[in-house]
Amino acid sequence: MIVSFPNMGPNWVAFKTFFETMGAEVIVPEPTNRNTIKFGVKHSPEFVCFPFKATIGDFKNALERGADTLVMAIDCGPCRFGFYASVQERILRDLGYKDFRLIPLDQADLLEFKWVKVLFDVSPSKSVSMYSKALKAVIMLLKKAKLLEDIQTAEGLFRAYERTQGDTTHVVNDLLQQLDQTNSLSGLRKFRPIIKNTFANMDIDRTRNPLRVGISGEIHISLEPYVNIDLRKKLGEMGVEIHQSISLYDWVMHKLHVNFHRKWYEHLAKPYVPIDIGGECRWVLGEYIDKANAGFDGFVHEYPFTCMPEVVARTIITNKLKKMYDMPIIYFSFDEQSGVEGMRTRLEAFVDLMHSRRNQDVKTNKVKLVNNQKQYGHYGNNFCHECIELIQPK
Amino acid sequence: MVQVSDKTDGSKAEKEAFLGIDVGSVSCKFVLIDIDGNLLTHVFLRNRGSPIDSVKDGMAKLKEAVQENEELQSYTIKACGTTGSARYLTKAIVGGDLAKTEIIAHAVATQSMYPNVRTILEIGGQDSKIIILRDGIIIDFAMNSVCAAGTGSFLDHQASRLGIAIEEFGDYAVKSNNPLSIAGRCTVFAESDMIHKQNAGHSREDIIAGLCDSLVRNYLNNITKGKDLDEPVVFQGGVSYNQGIVEAFERHLGCKVEVPKYNVLMGALGMAILVRDHYIDNETETLFRGLDVSEQEFKTSTFNCGDCPNNCEIVQVKMPSDENKVIARWGSRCGKWEVF
Repeated sequence: MIVSFPNMGPNWVAFKTFFETMGAEVIVPEPTNRNTIKFGVKHSPEFVCFPFKATIGDFKNALERGADTLVMAIDCGPCRFGFYASVQERILRDLGYKDFRLIPLDQADLLEFKWVKVLFDVSPSKSVSMYSKALKAVIMLLKKAKLLEDIQTAEGLFRAYERTQGDTTHVVNDLLQQLDQTNSLSGLRKFRPIIKNTFANMDIDRTRNPLRVGISGEIHISLEPYVNIDLRKKLGEMGVEIHQSISLYDWVMHKLHVNFHRKWYEHLAKPYVPIDIGGECRWVLGEYIDKANAGFDGFVHEYPFTCMPEVVARTIITNKLKKMYDMPIIYFSFDEQSGVEGMRTRLEAFVDLMHSRRNQDVKTNKVKLVNNQKQYGHYGNNFCHECIELIQPK
Repeated sequence: MVQVSDKTDGSKAEKEAFLGIDVGSVSCKFVLIDIDGNLLTHVFLRNRGSPIDSVKDGMAKLKEAVQENEELQSYTIKACGTTGSARYLTKAIVGGDLAKTEIIAHAVATQSMYPNVRTILEIGGQDSKIIILRDGIIIDFAMNSVCAAGTGSFLDHQASRLGIAIEEFGDYAVKSNNPLSIAGRCTVFAESDMIHKQNAGHSREDIIAGLCDSLVRNYLNNITKGKDLDEPVVFQGGVSYNQGIVEAFERHLGCKVEVPKYNVLMGALGMAILVRDHYIDNETETLFRGLDVSEQEFKTSTFNCGDCPNNCEIVQVKMPSDENKVIARWGSRCGKWEVF
């Protein structure tokens, strides 16, 4: 049994441990590339959203490299994502790939524990030891997912201060490799200080006062750098601090009903969208309001072309929230296009816009900069605060 | 945001000039201003092939203009700025000091002429944008991202299909008494609607007026969605030559729409102003290679990277006169080949 799964940015590290701990052999999907997308676009329904096309391409790559078991998340949520696994399986079978199983991983409500069946399915030995292994697999997944989230948080902050462009990217890639090699619980327990030390050793310019921007949107688009044309990196290298709360860990915790952060976003979004309409609609709205209240300089909303829930969120923000909270927002709707120029123009103009707004605010005393530094207050999680302390020691 | 008058300093004996270059999708524009922001001369030409050729052509024309004019020869170009979709490449070729997006450049140029402007509409060859300003700063902008519906290229195409010159297009629209309704959502629909109306025997004037109207509706639905368009409104870019569109905008917005004198040069003008202020703020030696760039040889070559499955096609520009130095290289997904 050789297991594979689709790409979602750096989260392959977590998924890999998840299945390896069960004793299965794992093929890590090759990084999304032009051929992946080409295949996906050719064999997918035309109006389906872009994550479908990218993930089916990943499956084809995995099958050609010898995988026989594919795992794909499904959901009984309000959007068509719930059908992706079965449609993809049919398309692949029609194309002549016969010897494989596509196991749907039901993540609609993780407390229903339907996902446990997936673990037992991929486990080569069916003895009692399987249960203890499953427990360990879950713990490893959660730990690694949390550490991946921390790396993402630190990356977003530190890139705005780096002296040599590209340093942060190297640090992140090294840390991902290191995290992938760490496969014991004791090792993982010691990993957070490693992340902090590695970032603290970077050559950074502490005198900068970068703009603060929140990023949110559909989860696959937000996490997979090939699909969002390295938006985080591009924005970061223009000297912008990025706060992205969306991550695999964030999502899993939400599905385990213990993500109080998201509950707060839901509360904020309630007057506009009272129920879950799919995608990240409610949470994007909530996050926009939350970040506007925390004094952020801007917000980026990314989503796949034709995604209904995200378009609803976009319209509510432009027609209502933007007028109430007055925080600049820019939208990116991604599809197979790979033209970078239009995107870069809009990003640069957006950064200029935020700079001129900030200068204006400082001039009219709407914002006070203490020692030329913007104060953070209580925004962000613990690790985010630890990173900020590293950058601006008190 | 940039103020035009308060930073100028006329005490220097040497006459200083600043060059702004805007390389768009269809045309490229060169504007030379003096330190007070007065336009000295300009060059406007259609793109030919690559931006490199266009820029070299433009530089040659600019050089001619300077040689013909005695007064211009007393000026020295102190700084050069580039804008437009090919701004980084152009910057590398001519030796620019500053590259900024066309959105900022347009806003700066318009503010220099209409200090109280609150809405800027811009429709060019391939893209259309809107810029919203309040109290002199940009607070919002939007740009068409996937669809070129309702831009200059589409009008150009329709004009040639109806057999009239694009320059006369607007005059036809103004003559109409009864504009037809033409589907404006997508140019594919618009075109089939037009063909149908044409075959049904409607006059060209009415069809063109209907097309102008639908183009404006499309623009207002797609680009300006959810934004407040306050007076004063300024309309610029190539399409603003078209009187039919200007009138359609006035009809839909219910207010006067101003078209600036240099409506197509605004990007280049704004860039010249920006680079002038950059020069005044930090007086650095310019990187500008001079107007002789037109005689300079640039070699363009491409190769495939092959280090990962993306196999990106990398384009590079070399300058044989300077030890074959690579002055620009682009095209890689991961950014490792990028030189600008």
